Amino acid sequence: MTDTVLFEGTQLYQLIPQREPIVMVSHVYQITDTDIKSGLLVKEDNIFCANGKLTEPGLIEHIAQSAAAFAGYPFFVAGKQAPLGYIGEIKKLRIHQLPAAGSMLRTHIQLVSEVMGISLITAETTVNDTPVVSCQMKIFINE
Amino acid sequence: MEKQELIERINEVLIEEFEVEADVITPDADIKETLELDSLSLVDMVALIEGEFKVKIKGSEIAQLKTFGLLYDYIYDNIEK
Repeated sequence: MTDTVLFEGTQLYQLIPQREPIVMVSHVYQITDTDIKSGLLVKEDNIFCANGKLTEPGLIEHIAQSAAAFAGYPFFVAGKQAPLGYIGEIKKLRIHQLPAAGSMLRTHIQLVSEVMGISLITAETTVNDTPVVSCQMKIFINE
Repeated sequence: MEKQELIERINEVLIEEFEVEADVITPDADIKETLELDSLSLVDMVALIEGEFKVKIKGSEIAQLKTFGLLYDYIYDNIEK
């Protein structure tokens, strides 16, 4: 599955405030008003890898940063710096497998609702179309 | 959908999601107090209402929907008839 890449590598610094070694999004393929498709090539030296696998916190941080990229895109379009965001709550977290280093995570984030600066999103991450993790997350964007 | 039918449906959805007794939900009751909502669970309620009744609740108007009666009116006025 090849998709056009909208942002990759350091281009992502325009969308998210995080910097190495804690950048957990390596690609953005699609952004609309209500969703984003992102990716992460899991490298051996990823700070969240242990025993050659990406750990649970790494999966959560990848989802949170994908959501941050979604929230940061309008700021990028407006020529502003990406805002800081905070994870407010995680619900219905399902982790099906821990992906091995070298895997390419593909994540789809959808905006469910936005209330007074808090965004409720759903997230689904796969590797080669096999489910890895899914959850609901509330993100608070500090504009 | 008739208004009374709508009200019963709204109550049903809220009772199930927030696990409260039916009799605590009255038109004049304060929504946040009754459902024990904080800022995060308020997002859940809005998402639930928007998803269930296909209405869009504007952020600026949420603060004004203090009672269940006001919520009923808002949904009834904005639902596709």
